Amino acid sequence: MSAISVHQFAQCITCHAWSPDYSMISFCPNNNEVHIYRIVEEKWERIHVLQKHDQIVSGIDWSAKSNRIVTVSHDRNSYVWNQEGADWVPTLVILRLNRAALCVQWSPRENKFAVGSGAKTVCICYYEQENNWWVSKLIRKRHDSSVTSVAWHPNNILLATTSTDGKCRVFSTFIKGVDTRDSGTRSTMDSKFGEQIVQLDLSFCWAFGVKWSPSGNTLAYVGHNSMIYFVDEVGPAPSAQTIAFRDLPLRDVLFVSERMVIGVGFDCNPMIFAADERGLWSFVRFLGERKTSSSGAKYGSQFSEAFGKLYGQSKLGISNDIVEPSKPRGGIHENSINCIVPLKKEGDSTNTRFSTSGLDGKVVIWDLENQEDLSEYL
Amino acid sequence: MAGHEEADNAEAIITRIEHKSRKIESLLKQYKPVEALKTALEGSPPKTRDERCKSANWIVVHRALMAIKDVDGMFSSLDPEYYDILMKYLYRGLSTGDRPTCDQCLRIHEKLTERAGLGCILRSLADTVNTV
Repeated sequence: MSAISVHQFAQCITCHAWSPDYSMISFCPNNNEVHIYRIVEEKWERIHVLQKHDQIVSGIDWSAKSNRIVTVSHDRNSYVWNQEGADWVPTLVILRLNRAALCVQWSPRENKFAVGSGAKTVCICYYEQENNWWVSKLIRKRHDSSVTSVAWHPNNILLATTSTDGKCRVFSTFIKGVDTRDSGTRSTMDSKFGEQIVQLDLSFCWAFGVKWSPSGNTLAYVGHNSMIYFVDEVGPAPSAQTIAFRDLPLRDVLFVSERMVIGVGFDCNPMIFAADERGLWSFVRFLGERKTSSSGAKYGSQFSEAFGKLYGQSKLGISNDIVEPSKPRGGIHENSINCIVPLKKEGDSTNTRFSTSGLDGKVVIWDLENQEDLSEYL
Repeated sequence: MAGHEEADNAEAIITRIEHKSRKIESLLKQYKPVEALKTALEGSPPKTRDERCKSANWIVVHRALMAIKDVDGMFSSLDPEYYDILMKYLYRGLSTGDRPTCDQCLRIHEKLTERAGLGCILRSLADTVNTV
């Protein structure tokens, strides 16, 4: 069994993040709070509730080295939380946005974080020692629509973004006084802050969930048209591969190694993609077991289930707010998965463990070890 | 000027569609309905907002679509690269509300969904490039 732990934390989870030692988990239960749970004698115990945001928290990231939590919300603000004794102390970061913040990620060196927003902008935030203040620098007028996902290149300078205008873009985020020139690679040495390195026009509809491979050589992102895109040699002449798959679209991706990617999304079951020796990517299989007999029966039941819901709603006047537990479709998640986070041990080049959360309120931990057919890609 | 160019462009597209129509008729006469359908689907998206071009093209595709009698046989020789655009035309067919057209489209739709999955439907919905 590839799922090693399943825990129902809430009715719905928008995003989650782990503490550096993975003993604690923070997540947003689809409201303005962030809950922190700790595992005590095999049981999850709630130890903190971070209340500062006014609206749904859309992104959480917990830095591994500095043990800081950054949260962003639809209320257009961001907080950096520092642990002082038993308490988490928030510091407001003024993002200067006029729309919701949608996603956040610490840079690899944890001296910056990036926020994607509905204001067609990306904020790069960094700490100013002399003012004791987090400053937000904006990359404006580059995106034609909301920024749905951000991903840092391991070099701490390049940032990839996906947007609902369908594009995936790569920017330089070099900030004088924060970054040093030698930390960048050759090609990004001369790039100024906010300079666009490349724009990828592979998708014609919403793009989500961008990630770099561990080495930073490959970029993967997904489109809302049930496609996944792999891009090598990100730069002036990128080479791209596009895979159309037969199931519902993905929302987020994760590289578990240079040659294997896990995609999660509306199909409620993680999908595995892998590259062969020649570097050609393809869909391998679903990670969770599926109990369906024939594909025809599966679609039939899905259609009738959706139809039944619509019909029941119109007849009984049930509002959308009521979360009714839908029947499990043979997977471990019972609703769309929208977040995937690696569980990486210090010093490992590959991570075989990761966790997923979604609209069913579950956090599932998966392990790829003992999956013989996948070991060649790890 | 832009309007004038558009009209020229439309004429060129209509000529292309007429050429395609003749090719399809000759393939149908040779009892090659799948080849005719492939021809209809190939280069068919006129990539134009011109309704006249779109309906002229649809008439041609419709002709090839209705000539398919053996749906399973069709899929055994139709390459997956045609699936997404075929799905798009099936929805165009269903939108006409014409009984025989809808019957035929639903029959193909069932088999196509079995083969190409829900992803194919998503792609045909999300496709903004091919205007059919």
